[in-house]
Amino acid sequence: MKQRFISSVQIILQLALTTVGLTGQTYPGKPKIIRCRSLEKETFSCWWKPGSDGGLPNNYTLFYSKDSEEKIYECPDYLTSGPNSCYFDKNHTNPWTTYIITVMATNEIGSNSSDPQHVDITSIVQPDAPVNLSLETNTSANMSYLWAKWSPPSLADASSNLHVYHYELRLKPEVNEEWETVSVGMQTHYEVTSLQAGVKYVVQVRCMLDLGEWSEWSSERSIQIPKERLPPEKPTIIKCRSPEKETFTCWWKPASDGGLLTNHTLLYSKEGEEKVYECPDYKTAGPNSCYFDKKHTSFWTIYNITVRATNEMGSNVSDPHYVDVTYIVQPDPPVNITLELKKSIKRKPYLVLTWSPPPLADVRSGWLTLEYELRLKPEEGEEWETIFVGQQTQCKMFSLNPGKRYIVQIHCKPDHHGLWSEWSPEMYIEIPTDFRVKDMVVWIIVGVLSSLICLIMSWIMIMKGYRMMAFILPPVPGPKIKGIDTHLLETGKSEELLSALGCHGFPPTSDCEELLVEYLEVEDSEDQQLMPSHDTPSKNTKIILKETDSDSGRGSCDSPSLLPVKSRESRGLPSALQTQDVRAKEKKGGKGSWETQCTASEQKMLPCSSESIKSCTWLAAQLPGNQAAMFAYHSTVEAFRITLNTTNVNTSPVLVGNEENRQSLYPIAETVYDDEEKMSEMEYSKTDQTRVQVRQNQQNDKSPFLNPKLMDYVEVHKVRQDDEPTLLLKHKENSGKTKKNPVPGTSKEYTKVSTVVDHHILVLLPDQRTQNTPVAQEPVAETSQNPQESQGEKSTDYSTTAPSDSRGDTSGSDYMDPSSFMPSFK
Amino acid sequence: MSTKGASLKGLLLVTLLVSHMLLTKEGVTSLPICPNGSVNCQLSLEELFDRAVKLSHYIHFLSSEMFNEFDERYAQGRGFIAKAVNSCHTASLTTPEDKEQAQQIHHEDLLNLILGVLRSWNDPLVHLASEVQRIKEAPETILWKAVEIEEQNKRLLEGMEKIVGRVQSGEVENDIYTPWDGLPSLQLADEDSRLFAFYNLLHCLRRDSHKIDNYLKVLKCRLIHDNNC
Repeated sequence: MKQRFISSVQIILQLALTTVGLTGQTYPGKPKIIRCRSLEKETFSCWWKPGSDGGLPNNYTLFYSKDSEEKIYECPDYLTSGPNSCYFDKNHTNPWTTYIITVMATNEIGSNSSDPQHVDITSIVQPDAPVNLSLETNTSANMSYLWAKWSPPSLADASSNLHVYHYELRLKPEVNEEWETVSVGMQTHYEVTSLQAGVKYVVQVRCMLDLGEWSEWSSERSIQIPKERLPPEKPTIIKCRSPEKETFTCWWKPASDGGLLTNHTLLYSKEGEEKVYECPDYKTAGPNSCYFDKKHTSFWTIYNITVRATNEMGSNVSDPHYVDVTYIVQPDPPVNITLELKKSIKRKPYLVLTWSPPPLADVRSGWLTLEYELRLKPEEGEEWETIFVGQQTQCKMFSLNPGKRYIVQIHCKPDHHGLWSEWSPEMYIEIPTDFRVKDMVVWIIVGVLSSLICLIMSWIMIMKGYRMMAFILPPVPGPKIKGIDTHLLETGKSEELLSALGCHGFPPTSDCEELLVEYLEVEDSEDQQLMPSHDTPSKNTKIILKETDSDSGRGSCDSPSLLPVKSRESRGLPSALQTQDVRAKEKKGGKGSWETQCTASEQKMLPCSSESIKSCTWLAAQLPGNQAAMFAYHSTVEAFRITLNTTNVNTSPVLVGNEENRQSLYPIAETVYDDEEKMSEMEYSKTDQTRVQVRQNQQNDKSPFLNPKLMDYVEVHKVRQDDEPTLLLKHKENSGKTKKNPVPGTSKEYTKVSTVVDHHILVLLPDQRTQNTPVAQEPVAETSQNPQESQGEKSTDYSTTAPSDSRGDTSGSDYMDPSSFMPSFK
Repeated sequence: MSTKGASLKGLLLVTLLVSHMLLTKEGVTSLPICPNGSVNCQLSLEELFDRAVKLSHYIHFLSSEMFNEFDERYAQGRGFIAKAVNSCHTASLTTPEDKEQAQQIHHEDLLNLILGVLRSWNDPLVHLASEVQRIKEAPETILWKAVEIEEQNKRLLEGMEKIVGRVQSGEVENDIYTPWDGLPSLQLADEDSRLFAFYNLLHCLRRDSHKIDNYLKVLKCRLIHDNNC
């Protein structure tokens, strides 16, 4: 097995070797005839491309046969046309014969032949490219020409150089891509016109026999076409300008220079002179300009100025420019521009602009006079506002919009002729926001704050008015009662007070009565402080009551002027009361008296202190509505004789007045109604009311100029609350008179009342009893009733349903109500 | 009586005001009232110069406007400017041609030169005012300006004589004067030539009025403000 394997390997290796030997040395590949070409129809050449040589040197042999003959010839000349080619000279070339050509490659191993090629001479003619191309440029009569020359292609056979070629020439600017081809003909030179001056051109030529193909393009030749050489064109004088009316400068613009270095000369002649001068200074004002200094500048003289441009080819002169320097002055822009904001007296800002004439301009001598114009606009604005300011060098600008940024520029011009200067550089100014606006804001803030403070103050005043007033205006000592201890009054210990007064004995003297009344009033005032809360649902009445309280209790409102009057009246009346039996009259008189006082107080008004003003004003408001009642009061004498009913009427207005605070329209009707009610009440006890009124009168007397009406209320209420016990006691004594009072319900009240105000009860009872005089006793009892009535009336006022019912049902219930309300209001 | 007197005063005041307005409209400011009995009731030199300068400024403004109007209307494209060189009748008067000359010349000489130029224009201005009306379709603005300039030139001449009389120490020379012989050219039949004659006259008028204005401003600054205007 092993041997067999080895032998097989050997066999394979041998096979491989033999194959290698075979592939390395083989017969040649097939050559290929590439091309056959005749340069001039008389000879021709063929070229072939050898195939693979088979690893061995090859020999190539070309055989050809002619279509007319069977015979096969070999190539006559392998050398002339180079390697792998065969040259057929004239002798071997027959234009009317078709040649069949093959190439055979031969080596040691074998040979291989190409495919046969049929060659017709006439179809393979292509000359070589022309040679010796040369280019020249020529310029004649301002035109550039391109002169191209070349030679026909050279032939191997110099003797047969008589062939006629057609030529083509192509050219292009070096930078271009596209050629321009020109058919030249049979000549071997060509002249190209219409060339671009200063451009480099590339040129090629090719040729062709009368049959066959165009030769290749010859090698490139390039040439630079020279620039034009022309005389310069006409320059233009742009402008002449004198910046300060002493010198001037002219500028010109050169035209085409014709491709040559061109010189410009400025020539001028002055009016009245034949001589032509040349520019004195080309340098000062820069290129293409001429500067005329002071010596060369005349005014009121016309300069005839021309500029001549000259080069090799010739010269050209500009159009003449006529200049009178007087009219070409254009100054420089103004300088030293300052912007300043100032405030006028009214604190409105205005802008002050100042500037100086341009430094070159000699304004001082009067030779040059400048006028100015300024323009400004808001920074974001579009349109300029232009202001001509004449010869002055400052300007004030008013009515600028505050808060805006302005741009300002100024320029200037000679007074008669000439041109405006350039605008000066932009100047910026910010107008501050209007001062007045700021002030307004400040003032508004101040105003708002102060009004706020005022509001708060007044609010506090209203809330704690009388306390504040007590602070500001300390209470004037109340009615001067000699021997009274005010401290005792304040503490409310009536017993001690009374004892101090020494009014123990009865019947009390007139003085004693007054004292008592006063004392009562003082107490009333204390009570009133409580009263308003439960009496009046409406605030108005409360306020009024309070005010009256303050007035009555402390007498702060008392003005010295009024007091005496009141005291006279009050004191005069009591005497009348004493003399007259009729109490009603007394009451009326009293009422009349205080009514008049009130009117007096209204009319005078002055005495009213700040506290009392309100009450006074209130009164003023109330009284007009009550004029009817007022009238009754005023006629005091008559009023005395009026019946109790009328007195009721009189009292009623007080109530009505309160009502009128809310409803001013129906006071009269109400009064009537009230009267009726009162009448009914009066049926129970006419005297009671009168007494109440008496008390009121007394109070009025004592509390100098309180609103009498209000006081009525107050007193009644007070009396009611405090005096209820007293009433009860009285009723027990005078049960015959008062029917309402001894209602069973009263027993409950007594208990309550006694608990509330002990002192008063104690104090009052003894006084009333001890007085014994009908006047004294009755008032108390009546006061007790009056409060009820007044309450009832008030209740009717506030809620119409309650009063009549409560009265109709039981007087006790009436009593109850207030007491029951008391705590709630408190 | 008092009311009558007041009304009379008021009437007087109104007439004064009206006359003042009329005068100022013509560029003349009214004379300040001389205090009664004053012997030397004279205008100051400054006042005289102020008025002269205002007047010359006004005259030049008019002549300049008139020239421009004429140029626009009749001279466009005719190339008059080239022909107008060196043909002003006052060219024979040697006047300062630049600032230095104007500053160097003695003020009396300059004043006399101004007088001479003004006098030289008396005659042509009279003819201009009459002949300009014969120009075809001459606008009213040109016509009234010619008349106005003639009048104002006389007024300025008076004022200048006053100034010269004040300034000059010696005699006033009345002989500086160049005659004008251009009237026939203004009456030429050929329109082009006639228009050129007008053009040239207006051109010279503009130039000389500007000269006078400029000299007067220089003199004013020199004599009144000591070269510190």
